[in-house]
Amino acid sequence: MKSEPIIALPDFNAMNDDEFRAEVRAFLEKHYPQRLRNILRRARWSDVKDWYLTLSGHGWLAPNWPREHGGMGLDAGKMMILLEEQERHGVARVPDHGIVQVGPIIMKYGTDEQKKYYLPKILAGQHIWAQGYSEPNAGSDLASLRTEAVPDGADFIVNGQKIWTTLAHDATHIYLLVRTDKQAKKQAGISFLLVDAKAPGITIRPIRNLAGHEEFCEVFFENVRVPQANLVGGLNQGWTVAKALLSFERVNIGSPRRPQYALQRLEQLARAKGLFDDPGFVDKFTVLRLDIADLASLYTRYAEVVKRGEELGQEVSMLKIWAMEAWQRLTELLLETAQEYGCVPGGLAIDGVEVDVLSPFYYARAGTIYGGSSEIQRNILAKYVLKLPS
Amino acid sequence: MTRGTDLKRVRRLRGTRPGFERAVWQQMAEFGWLGILVPEQYGGLGLGCAEMAVVAGGTAGALTPEPLSAAVVLAGGAIARGDNADLKHELLEGLVAGKLIPALAWQERAGILDPGAVSTRAEPFEAAFKLNGGKNFIAGAAGAGGFVVSAQTPEGLALFWVAADTAGATLDLLPLADGRFMGRLQLSDAVVAQDRMLASPAAAHAALQAALDITLVIAGAELLGVMGRALDMSIDYMKTRVQFGRPIGSFQALAHRAVDLHIQRELSSAVLDDTIALFDSDADAARRSAMASRVKARCSEAGLRITREAIQIHGAIGFTDEYDVALYLKRAMTLSAWLGNAALHRRRYAQLVPSDEI
Repeated sequence: MKSEPIIALPDFNAMNDDEFRAEVRAFLEKHYPQRLRNILRRARWSDVKDWYLTLSGHGWLAPNWPREHGGMGLDAGKMMILLEEQERHGVARVPDHGIVQVGPIIMKYGTDEQKKYYLPKILAGQHIWAQGYSEPNAGSDLASLRTEAVPDGADFIVNGQKIWTTLAHDATHIYLLVRTDKQAKKQAGISFLLVDAKAPGITIRPIRNLAGHEEFCEVFFENVRVPQANLVGGLNQGWTVAKALLSFERVNIGSPRRPQYALQRLEQLARAKGLFDDPGFVDKFTVLRLDIADLASLYTRYAEVVKRGEELGQEVSMLKIWAMEAWQRLTELLLETAQEYGCVPGGLAIDGVEVDVLSPFYYARAGTIYGGSSEIQRNILAKYVLKLPS
Repeated sequence: MTRGTDLKRVRRLRGTRPGFERAVWQQMAEFGWLGILVPEQYGGLGLGCAEMAVVAGGTAGALTPEPLSAAVVLAGGAIARGDNADLKHELLEGLVAGKLIPALAWQERAGILDPGAVSTRAEPFEAAFKLNGGKNFIAGAAGAGGFVVSAQTPEGLALFWVAADTAGATLDLLPLADGRFMGRLQLSDAVVAQDRMLASPAAAHAALQAALDITLVIAGAELLGVMGRALDMSIDYMKTRVQFGRPIGSFQALAHRAVDLHIQRELSSAVLDDTIALFDSDADAARRSAMASRVKARCSEAGLRITREAIQIHGAIGFTDEYDVALYLKRAMTLSAWLGNAALHRRRYAQLVPSDEI
């Protein structure tokens, strides 16, 4: 399927990096809502709907999609620059599963009908996707998932439960990994299914997280009828489909930007409290400062690989481990620095500095769990990079 | 245990003076290694930090005892930045040819990295200078043909060339963990001719600072070589050592430990690469100093941690003198302590780069 681009965009890939960077900066300065800069919690659809539609209206919503499908068609190098600038500006993540996951997956594995139906609706903000992978008994061991899809005429009947489904309550659609062959070995019996969240038999219950926000959900499926036409990539091919994650996402999860921002907040608070005259504090602070500076060096090394258009190997897992664990250590020092305020939720004015000490501390806990826990990442590195026996 | 044969020479030379072999040094001269950083006009190759780091990392990974970084990078670096053209010619040509091994005698007190913190005095005396004072922690002092000595003149800090056999210059050697030596140089009315002033007060401080900073980077490369070998050995051992009927590398506690060490190695290598690129550019001295401290801090910390944990991964055999992993720990210890350990360089970095420049 091919259609003419709706919006005439300049040829970004023909720009040099500095020109493109300036273009992105100007766009963000002009269009991004100030109140949404550097928010820690996940933005809800009600927060970012306008921003999503602004991006959509300018043709900037899907930087990773090719032009023929209405994307920006950025090459990997320009993609990294866009991500860097978004991070620098503190741009919140929009509900992007349609753009980052479903769209590219449909382009790669989907039928023409699926492409024609789903892709434009993602761009228009009509379809908001959530990811239904984890289950109560399938977390790190995702391949042991048990939500099943049984053929029934032209449909599947889906029964089971998904959990930790981020922003499911904002989603119009959910993409699922379901078991379609109980006899096959684990990964081999899994299929990838597109599901309308409004289908009868689906119940979505938000779960309040440690930070007090309702960002993830439980999703129950009770005899939910899903057309077999919604299967992507063929029966029992779900694991392969789901694993096709793009290089720039895998590097982005280890970006130093978030810890750098936390470091700035800590620096402001510590300065207001006169702690830079305390050699004990300066020593602790500098350890973290260099942990993050060195993370930036490591990140740049991997980002360069992506920019050259090369595939990243499994070694990129180390970036996520170090970024998230350094971020955690930083939020721990933030808590310590806040002294008695280190147990008070919400925004505070401590010695004249506006700071929320608990939110970063809470969200940093999740950083070593989602997207493959630190322990899983270490398993991956041990097996595929160090080639240790299992 | 068989790998021990590779390091036979290293073991044999431990604790002997000068602790290395002049024949090997001569070979290094023939390879051109001694002239990597020396400008072509003095017979060197005029290459950069990148090339020096490759050679130093490789030799350190093989635990080579020859004083490459001390003589070529530190002392040679100070000589090359002096402002006495004739003396530079003489010394650098000797260095490149392998005929003269210089050592830099600049530091006096432990934990002080300021090149200007010098009590040693050089008083004008007839057509010469009379030097008095004491220098400490001199790397590559054993076997050195002479010393580049920093001293205060009435006009400010200067560098002098003091030949090893100068009357009034007394060297004694302090044995190090890795079997090499550090020198202590006592100067009591040691007289050097005026033309032995290598760097006048106009050049001395900057020359010392620059030599120190590039040596920190190369020491980082050496530490990376050492930690890399120690970690590779440990990972190999984890694949072959069987206990409870399984290779010990299959135990998650050990596998995760090895991964954490690998991350430290990769962080070290990433910072080193960034720093080398900076040093081979026209970046200013302040940025060089800051990055040099970042490298020395990370590589010292990672080098010590990896070699320490390599002992633990190997178990009892790691605690023996005959097994090689101990040699790596001890080289990491000397390299980490040299020119400021991790804690000292973190402080130096904090002083060089104010915290609001994040």
